[in-house]
Amino acid sequence: MNVRRWVKITPTEAIVDGKLLDTKATGAALLTELYRNYTNDYPKFFKMDELSKLGFIAAELLLKGEDENHAEREDRAVILFNRCSSICNDRKYQDTISRPDDFFPSPSIFVYTLPNIVTGEIAIRHHYYGETAFYVLDEPDETLMRQVIAAAFADDTTTSVLTGWVDCETHDNFYAHIYVIDK
Amino acid sequence: MIQKIADNIYSPLGFTTAENYARVKQGDSMLRKYATDHAVSGSDVARLDLPEPFVASLFDWDKVEPMEGYTPFERIVIQSVKRAAEQTDIDLHSPRVLLVVSTTKGNIDLLDGHNTNFSDDRLQLGNAAQRIADYFGIVSRPLVVSNACISGLSAQITAMRMLETSDYETAIVVGADVQSRFIISGFQSFKALSPAECRPFDLERVGLNLGEAAATIIYNKVKRVAEDSWQAVKGAVRNDASHISNPSKTAEGCYRSLRSVTDGVDRADIAFINVHGTSTLYNDEMEAVAIARAGLQDTPINSLKGYYGHTMGAAGVLETILSMHALDEGLVLATRGFEELGVSRRVNVSAQNMPVSGNAFVKLLSGFGGCNAAMLFRKGGEA
Amino acid sequence: MEELALELKKRIIEVLNLEDVQPEDIDNDAPLFGEGLGLDSIDALELIVMMEKDYGIKIKDPSAGKDIFKSINTIAEFVTKNRTK
Repeated sequence: MNVRRWVKITPTEAIVDGKLLDTKATGAALLTELYRNYTNDYPKFFKMDELSKLGFIAAELLLKGEDENHAEREDRAVILFNRCSSICNDRKYQDTISRPDDFFPSPSIFVYTLPNIVTGEIAIRHHYYGETAFYVLDEPDETLMRQVIAAAFADDTTTSVLTGWVDCETHDNFYAHIYVIDK
Repeated sequence: MIQKIADNIYSPLGFTTAENYARVKQGDSMLRKYATDHAVSGSDVARLDLPEPFVASLFDWDKVEPMEGYTPFERIVIQSVKRAAEQTDIDLHSPRVLLVVSTTKGNIDLLDGHNTNFSDDRLQLGNAAQRIADYFGIVSRPLVVSNACISGLSAQITAMRMLETSDYETAIVVGADVQSRFIISGFQSFKALSPAECRPFDLERVGLNLGEAAATIIYNKVKRVAEDSWQAVKGAVRNDASHISNPSKTAEGCYRSLRSVTDGVDRADIAFINVHGTSTLYNDEMEAVAIARAGLQDTPINSLKGYYGHTMGAAGVLETILSMHALDEGLVLATRGFEELGVSRRVNVSAQNMPVSGNAFVKLLSGFGGCNAAMLFRKGGEA
Repeated sequence: MEELALELKKRIIEVLNLEDVQPEDIDNDAPLFGEGLGLDSIDALELIVMMEKDYGIKIKDPSAGKDIFKSINTIAEFVTKNRTK
């Protein structure tokens, strides 16, 4: 298994292949700044929850230059891990239903109350028809993660996996470390 | 090769696989209409405090084993795993045992604030899974699959691969979800629910019902699969790359995953396809398109959502178990709620329990996030 | 009506997270779904919630949304006729 490029995003910085990007904002605003500077052609970004924004923009940085045409492919899997599932957005959804006299469940928030949606957003953007999956661990267990990724290649079609840790506990507390592993 | 050595279904229809299978074969279901102005056994439903009525298959929580210190979700998982593990002689303390938990929302009902016995860390799925692992003395770290409604197959596929490619020898795959105000209100906001019992693939279908259950399958890595045992042969997960909640109009992901597991398989050996069949307008139509694209219109298909509703993280495991027991008897189970075909492709929906031939079946699931899963199971090893 | 149209535009931009859209970008008669703003089914469901929250109008059947939410004008007409708030 070969690791190619990698991206790390924290509430205060974004690093691509060891190079620190020039950014000013922090927290949720950092994700928007990265979007404006490096993507800015995908309005759906603003409908996403924090976890999906984090994973989406990390993937944008990771895959920049790989295929600007986003040709469809079935051989790349998107397999992500985290600890918090979609809890940040879950709380936001709970807020739309917690007061009986102000009960307005929001479908656009509800749809993001699943951690795997971020893998779907990446698949849609990059036209990946391959496997998408999401796993939750109580901490980043490198051994277990490596076993799961090695197992993913048991599907003959899969030759490349976009993977890593994408976690969002609150709007301003998140962490992403993703990379592509080729067979 | 990967062989099933035990299973359990722990649901509102019963706490053993045998009980569940017997009741499903009879056409029973625990789908009931719940409205806040009705007195319902147990205060649990009234607690949900939802303004709109809904149809669901729910536990009578007074009948579920009380377990102090464990949440409702954890209780049903533990009870299901316990009953499955008791059928085997595996050493649960062995590092070669992997626990895979399939769930969409775990303990999300705790957000309601009604249950103040548990701290927030129980919301964390890995934490909940660890408590379950600790209960059994399972030493390796549990893996939680949270892949929307395909989790139950996603978990089995991952378990199968982990057994094949790493040192684990046994995989305990348990799928479970409990219903809550959180989940039910969410589906209501999507206007995805039916006001009556659901009708998979039917002309009159208008939406899904919700359900809760736990189901467990235990797999072993073996050199050869015994003649009367079930083999997990192949699984595939594919994405529609289209929309985060609507199924693809061309059934891209469903078709590709179905094609992947049936490639090179003798069609005559596929006894039936147990579909996702949630009874929404779009899902059932999408699956019909996928099946037609794969040239499998004549293969009997069935949906089990009419017996349990959509049990989310449990569905993939629960429906696989029932399908195995049905084919053990050479049957495909009836699609409860189905009368007249209401999809654009002519597919072969089983309205009744029917005899079928063939040693294998395919299970399909689709979920939010555009993901789709297919898995092929065969009785008695390679054909 | 013009005041309502502007109010609707502002609210729709807010509720549907249309970050890069200004009220002046939306023509009162322009189709909101398909082309134009390219709204989808989740947006339609969210607009149903907005109708109840802002104007006290309950839309039971999601397919009714197709006609109601065609354009700002059709929404404004619908709201004027049916609002309880």
